[in-house]
Amino acid sequence: MKEVFFVVEFGIEFVPRDLYWKTTFYAIQAEKIGFDYLWITDHFNNRNVYVSLAIASAYTERIKFGPGVTNPYLIHPGVTAQAVATLNEIAPGRVVCGLGAGDRTTLQMLNLEQSKPLQTIRESVKIIREITSGKPLEMQGEIFKVDGATLNFKITSPIPIFIGAQGPKMLELAAEIGDGVLINASHPKDVENAMTFIGKGIEKAGKQLSDSDISAYTSFSVASSYDKALKAVIPVVAYIVAGSPKIILERHEIPVEVADKIREAIVHGQWKEAFILVNAEMVEAFSICGTPETCVDKIQKLLKVGVNQIVAGSPIGPNMRKSINMIATEVFPHLKK
Amino acid sequence: MALERVARKIPASLWNVASEKLIDLVLNSPNASKMPSDLAKTILYYWQRDQLATEVGLQRVLEASMILEPEKAITLMEELGLPAIVVMLRETL
Repeated sequence: MKEVFFVVEFGIEFVPRDLYWKTTFYAIQAEKIGFDYLWITDHFNNRNVYVSLAIASAYTERIKFGPGVTNPYLIHPGVTAQAVATLNEIAPGRVVCGLGAGDRTTLQMLNLEQSKPLQTIRESVKIIREITSGKPLEMQGEIFKVDGATLNFKITSPIPIFIGAQGPKMLELAAEIGDGVLINASHPKDVENAMTFIGKGIEKAGKQLSDSDISAYTSFSVASSYDKALKAVIPVVAYIVAGSPKIILERHEIPVEVADKIREAIVHGQWKEAFILVNAEMVEAFSICGTPETCVDKIQKLLKVGVNQIVAGSPIGPNMRKSINMIATEVFPHLKK
Repeated sequence: MALERVARKIPASLWNVASEKLIDLVLNSPNASKMPSDLAKTILYYWQRDQLATEVGLQRVLEASMILEPEKAITLMEELGLPAIVVMLRETL
């Protein structure tokens, strides 16, 4: 394998489906092996993201961490500002805030409509940024009205806001107003495409590309064999296919009607029916899956496209502890100096 | 207390391998929800400080294994060639 080193940071995502102490155990492990960021997902049906982050922060010393990602449909951005500001008190300078339009499938379970996502995210970022900067906020937005909101405690360090994005307009907005972009993509073709829109957003804001942290937020599964990695990644890929915009499905020649079927099955808890519809093309399109060598190869392709953070997202692998160790011994040495 | 005595009998040369295998047992146990929260936090404390393969760390991991997977923990000690430990662990059941 040819060694090509990039200036790159690595993040890891945990879904707090597991018991809190397991998530924390893996967070400690991730910090020990050299991950730079810890992202914890925010879904109402899993354990609470901020409680999970608070305990993980207490047992770690260096790794940066934050919700990856929360959404303003379920949690008001004022409350998100309060939560990340409180975390910042526990671990000053280590907190980041990942924000996105939410997972359509999970929001649907609560009958929450993902309405006007662009405007909602734009206003949410303003609310979180202003409130965490300690200034009282007056805002008469299209989505949110805020009358003099301010926190009753001081924030000692700024909290960068990363925006999770997949579609062209959200990518552009994320680059324009975010401190970082979390591109929901695992395939170089998607990331390359995303970079076009990110470029537009950067230009619109009058920034330089180097001002922003551009991350590929991947679904990642590493194991000693492809089959083992595949088995672990299928449920995650099913969720991604179910929530992907038509334009992305079409880019990978995935029939929209199959994605609809997967989404319907998930919404009704028919997991087996959903997972059986996931095929090899979907796994290739929406994940980094396989042996360490395969994963290194795909990560290098993503880095060549221009991202500077790779997030190894759920499921990481069939055995979390072994897979994290495998990243340390067989993936990082090819990518990190 | 009885388990602390047992852990002390494990030779230092086996602390690392015993700790590694017991941690896997605990993390992958279907009975993981039986883990007492205080014990979990103690294990996290030792893990953060790289002390799970020390005498005190191993005591806690062994304690967790005996709560979550007693039979598997005993089998593991047999596999490590520690018959005296196996007898002592059986006595704690």
